[in-house]
Amino acid sequence: MNSRTVATIILAIALISCSVAGQTTEELFSAGNNAYGNRLYDSAVLYYSAALKTGKESSALYFNLGNAWFKSGDLGRAMVNYLKAERLDPSDDDIRHNLEFARQFSTVQMEGVELNPISSFINAIVGPYRLSAWAWWSSLAFVLLLLCLILRHGLAISNAVVRSGVNVLVVAVILLGGLTTWKYRSEFVDRRGVVIVESATVYTGPSESSDVELQAAPGLVVEILGQSGEFYSVLFANKRRGWMKSTQVETI
Amino acid sequence: MIRNAAIMLLFAFCLWAVAEDVSAVPQTINVQVSLDRDTIGLNEQGILTVVLSGASQDLPVPQIPQLEKFEIYSQGRSSNISITNGQVSSSVTYRYLLQPLSAGTFVIDQIAVVENNQRFKGNAVELTVLKSGTATPKQTEERSVAPDGKTKDYFLEAVVDKKNPYVNEQVTLTVKFYTAVQHFGTPELDEPATTGFWTEVIGNSAPYYQKVNGRNFRVIERKYALFPAQTGDLTIGRATLHATVASNQRQKDPFDVFGDFFGRGVEVAISSDPIRVNVKAIPDAGKPKDFSGSIGRYAISAEPDKRAVDVNQPVTVKFEISGTGNIKTIADPVIPELPDFRIYRAATNESVSRSGDKLGGTKAYEQVFIPTRPGTLEIPAISFSFFDPSDSKYKLASTRPITVEVRKPEGYIASPDVPFSGGPDRSIGSGATDIRYIKEASSGFTTTGEIILFQPIYLVVNGLPVIALIGLVVLRKRREHLSANVGYARSRGASREARRRLAQARTLASSANAVQFHTEISRAVISWIADKLNVSPHGLTSDQIQELLSNRSADFALITDISDLLKRCDYARFAPSSVSEADIKQSMETAEQVMTRIEGVRFE
Repeated sequence: MNSRTVATIILAIALISCSVAGQTTEELFSAGNNAYGNRLYDSAVLYYSAALKTGKESSALYFNLGNAWFKSGDLGRAMVNYLKAERLDPSDDDIRHNLEFARQFSTVQMEGVELNPISSFINAIVGPYRLSAWAWWSSLAFVLLLLCLILRHGLAISNAVVRSGVNVLVVAVILLGGLTTWKYRSEFVDRRGVVIVESATVYTGPSESSDVELQAAPGLVVEILGQSGEFYSVLFANKRRGWMKSTQVETI
Repeated sequence: MIRNAAIMLLFAFCLWAVAEDVSAVPQTINVQVSLDRDTIGLNEQGILTVVLSGASQDLPVPQIPQLEKFEIYSQGRSSNISITNGQVSSSVTYRYLLQPLSAGTFVIDQIAVVENNQRFKGNAVELTVLKSGTATPKQTEERSVAPDGKTKDYFLEAVVDKKNPYVNEQVTLTVKFYTAVQHFGTPELDEPATTGFWTEVIGNSAPYYQKVNGRNFRVIERKYALFPAQTGDLTIGRATLHATVASNQRQKDPFDVFGDFFGRGVEVAISSDPIRVNVKAIPDAGKPKDFSGSIGRYAISAEPDKRAVDVNQPVTVKFEISGTGNIKTIADPVIPELPDFRIYRAATNESVSRSGDKLGGTKAYEQVFIPTRPGTLEIPAISFSFFDPSDSKYKLASTRPITVEVRKPEGYIASPDVPFSGGPDRSIGSGATDIRYIKEASSGFTTTGEIILFQPIYLVVNGLPVIALIGLVVLRKRREHLSANVGYARSRGASREARRRLAQARTLASSANAVQFHTEISRAVISWIADKLNVSPHGLTSDQIQELLSNRSADFALITDISDLLKRCDYARFAPSSVSEADIKQSMETAEQVMTRIEGVRFE
């Protein structure tokens, strides 16, 4: 990259920063797409980030921002955005592809360890569909159950169809409600993060004077178990635990 | 003993066999003759090199024939012996200086060696001697002359092959170090300043000899390829050489007997003159539209890595531009937008090469074409225009069009708007070479961090049926209760009937209507109590009410008040003339009071 190109990019970024104010999410999104198409990945990152700052989100926006970060060479932030995109649209093949593709570039690879077959079974069921889908399906079952109850108890129409309907729907509501709660917990209550800095040291305790547990690399996904001061207690995919500075991890 | 003798005999036989074997191989000697240049001027010298190689350590000296047109001086020999797998091979290089005596073309072919009565002849070489003496222009002659009129011992000269080049056309700068005396060590050269030029060093040439002003000089050349980056007058600065040369000054010190013997050196710094170059702009006439400043002489080729692929699978086309010119600065070939392909730049690499003094090379671009629909698709001819300075013309090189057979993979769904989506490449394997392209459809934005479970719409959708159910169940229970218990219904309905009668009485409240008024009051109170007690109001007398109330353990004061009120009503109905306005008012108040008090009583 010669100095002229660098100067051009800096100028472009300066211009973008001035021009993003007052634009709609859609405008910023397509401006980002243009920049990406012209291989101005730094600018694309800026546009997409500005689009997110308008308070709107979409899986495509996170996906494109992930792509732009990836092309700018920031694996960690690319992974963060791919995971956010996946949360909004878990069935999208492109998102899954790029997530897996980016994962290969992490200099440290950790194999997931299966500790609880039941939880992984449930995860396999809830995984491919987004939370709102689960929520609406359980809502549908619930409303149908109530309609049956209204027929039976409110309007005193009690035949075999209504009675068996109530029984089936009670089971459905319990199942779907449980899965929805599980999905909600795993995505919004359990916190996950991605390592975003090159030299991220994992310590055995919440201070830099603790022993070094391992050396993490950008793009590694961790589960955040707790916080102590400026340190997160983290759990890696291979079930190794440690403490990392919270600035080195971006939460999803 | 006999055995030992036999072994000895065998051993001796082996030795003899080996010795015989060696002498049996005819000794061949390879003679290779070469010249440093095939054309020299009359005032120059050529170097003849004879390389002998063979399987012997002791190679004979070659016989050089008498050449009438040259003076020949031996320049020494160097040898090289190597033993590989027990085989000895050696080579000896003899160098001779040829000083031409007359112009013409001469063939030197009589060089040979004789070994064991065998004659091995070398190859013939041809040398042309030019009369004019090409290599010694006047300026070199001038430079060689010192101010005192004598020929210098050493001097530095810089020459360019063109003084009027086009922008970005190669100018070859040659810095020559001429020395007629011995120099020690490696001379150091301060490279000339070449501001305004893109500079590539071509390198140093092998030393050669040249006669200038009747004196023999050893010449070392260093060449540069300069590409002017701007038009107008440009100056190539001085080159300065620092060398230690043998001094031919006699030592003043008479005791320093070794001075001459060791060749005392003197450090000197010599410079060339600056050179002015006038750079022309390339002509505007006939400039092609797609011309982007590439100057030289080039050819372009395109080669795809495969000619048949599935939809959404990449075809990598390697475009190669090669030729002479400043390959590092040539513009990229312009690939037009193609509706059937998505195009990505994959890699660029360039290699610089030389043919003679001309710099050139190859620039390769790898471009990935991803077909977006099945069928026989064509990547059109890509052209590349450049300016050829050698005949001052714009020229166009182009590739051949490439036909790609694009197959429809299984399960393919055409999706023209969203590239890369729904393609066949579902597995993440070694086949994946890049991330998939961004999504371009800008829709489906939602408010950040919105969780559906807590949205009002979700709560309403789920809450409304609950409310509906509760409401309907309550309504139904109440209806059932009413139908199952008439008394309850009547007690609920009591106040309504009584209040209606009380309101009726209030409209009649005057001494003129004393009879009707008291009748209504009386009925209101009786029906009120009857409903409360769930008994029939018909024929209910004051005494019966008193009894019923006391049976249900009502308050004694309340019972007395009720019976007083009823008695007063009876009295007023039979003697209405004695009823005053004050009586009516009092009866009204008492009735209201009594009914309110009964309301609060819960009867068993």
